[in-house]
Amino acid sequence: MSNSSSGTGTSSKPRAASSQPSETSSKRKRGVFQKELQHMMYGFGDDPNPLPESVALMEDIAVEYVTELVHKAQDIGSQRGKLSVEDFLYLIRKDLSKLNRCTELLSMNEVLKQARKVFESEEFD
Amino acid sequence: MEPQVPATGTAEPSQSQPPKPSPPIPPPSSSSTPPISAPNPNPSPGPSPGPSPGPGPGPGPGPIQTPNPKPPTPTPTPTPPQPRPQPSFNRTLPPSQPTSQPHFPHFSSLPPSSAPPPSSAPGAAAAPRGGMAIGVPAHHQNPSPPFSSSFGQHFGGLGRTGVNVAESTSSSSTSQVRTPAQGMGMLGSQMRPSGIPAHQQRPVQSSLRPPSSAPNNQPAGSQSFQGHGLMRPSSVGSPATPSPSASQSVQSLNQPWLSSGPQGKPPLPSTAYRQQLNPQSMQQRSHIPPQQQSTPTSSQQQQQQQQSLLSNQSQEHFGQQVPPSRGLHVPHQQQVTRLQGPGNQKPSSLAAAQSSAVQPGIQNRLTNVDSDESCNSILSKRSIHELVNQVDPLEKLDPEVADILVDIAENFLESITRSGCSLAKHRKSTTLEAKDILLHLEKNWNMSLPGFGGDEIKSYRRQITSDIHKERLAVIKKSMAATEATHAKGSAGQASGTAKGSQAKAPLNIIGSPNLKNS
Repeated sequence: MSNSSSGTGTSSKPRAASSQPSETSSKRKRGVFQKELQHMMYGFGDDPNPLPESVALMEDIAVEYVTELVHKAQDIGSQRGKLSVEDFLYLIRKDLSKLNRCTELLSMNEVLKQARKVFESEEFD
Repeated sequence: MEPQVPATGTAEPSQSQPPKPSPPIPPPSSSSTPPISAPNPNPSPGPSPGPSPGPGPGPGPGPIQTPNPKPPTPTPTPTPPQPRPQPSFNRTLPPSQPTSQPHFPHFSSLPPSSAPPPSSAPGAAAAPRGGMAIGVPAHHQNPSPPFSSSFGQHFGGLGRTGVNVAESTSSSSTSQVRTPAQGMGMLGSQMRPSGIPAHQQRPVQSSLRPPSSAPNNQPAGSQSFQGHGLMRPSSVGSPATPSPSASQSVQSLNQPWLSSGPQGKPPLPSTAYRQQLNPQSMQQRSHIPPQQQSTPTSSQQQQQQQQSLLSNQSQEHFGQQVPPSRGLHVPHQQQVTRLQGPGNQKPSSLAAAQSSAVQPGIQNRLTNVDSDESCNSILSKRSIHELVNQVDPLEKLDPEVADILVDIAENFLESITRSGCSLAKHRKSTTLEAKDILLHLEKNWNMSLPGFGGDEIKSYRRQITSDIHKERLAVIKKSMAATEATHAKGSAGQASGTAKGSQAKAPLNIIGSPNLKNS
């Protein structure tokens, strides 16, 4: 499906201002989440082999969502300097399920770090 | 041949020009227009083989198909079943549609109604045509009668706007029956309003349905008119057949169609004729009801009937096209009989108004037909209700609310399309592509539609902050930190005072410096 993107990809580069970006970055790769999405769709009730168009659509939706989120976070974070985790949490504050999952994952991450630290220090002992 | 005419030709006022429409009709659209405009009484089915009402199924479809001059016989074939009504065929519309459709079982209801109007008009010249012309005397039964009268007249009328268009389009789309009637048929098909096009362009117009019925009629009518003279019952029938398939709601339309006759009728027969070949356009039938009557003979009986009904109806509906026809089309598609009922009712009202109004709008409508937006709207209330059902099965909407929603949707679509076209033009392209619409929606409506956008990564425009702004921000931070420090230290009065003073100056200096630097 790279249809028009190839042509437009180059044009979008200059728009991005900054950097350099390579031509490749402006053109999106298709099928980045294909395998995972297929399994997820099956898990939610779809056919074990969903249609490629469906998978492509799901991927488009997912990538678009992530892109939007990052752009908004950048808008907020740039005022404070760099992007931070707080920016993302602020953006999904309205979506409780996502917010809770995020905080849970972050806390688990902290716990694992602690455990690793203890483990490593124990090793030396 | 037109004995039948009197019965069916009730409505066709245009009969006076039978000779004209007939010849032009075959020639596709170009000529048809002029004749159509003139209420050709004859035009309608001219060929009506059976002018004598009886040509029966065979001649009925035959004549219709060969639009006019060829009257009757050659074409009848396509839809033998319909010829029934022939004798009285209303089909003949041209002269006066009186073509008594008595034959057509389903159209029987229609013919009487349609017949009177057409008969009146065509009566004069239509005599020959009246019988068959459109409705292929036997077959198309109902649709034809109205057609016949109308064909003659309409044929000219159809030509006036949509007919020509229809013919051209129909010819291209339906190349099936390309007889001279085709020209008419095309007119009809295009002219959705006339109902004829529906036949021919079944594939194209299927979406149009409501308007298509009208076109359907036209094709049939056109065909029939060509023959004016006697309508080619066969030709009439043929148009009718396509119309049934196309115009679902053929039913009563015949009659009103007859009355409205002049407009699209002539083309109807031809288009209907062609349409027979395309049974699929049944959907558009509703419009065509009148036509179908004329061309009943042509396609399969059922189809023909339907077509005729549709064509007849469609013709009438031209004016209304969407609203009335919609209802007709949808339910009718398959059943001719059903069509007749509603069609009959509607056509009468529509006929007069629509026939005239339809013509000019036909062309516009034709283009819009596909989107159903012409005169009537892009959406129908039914789709609004379906949407509401999806949201909440128990929800009910007031009719005014549904109307407003339809209006909002149409306005939205129109504005989107307009903006999209502007963007496409800006791109120096003559094609409206998805990216034009997507860009407009994204920028102005904040709607991002996944799945259409292509592979580009959305680039991020980082906020543009000038250097000065950054410097000033830094200075402010420093000064704030300094003041805090000074406050903390400032327990000692003087020290703090001096410190503050010194510190206060510093920020000022700092602030001033960037300016200097910049300048």
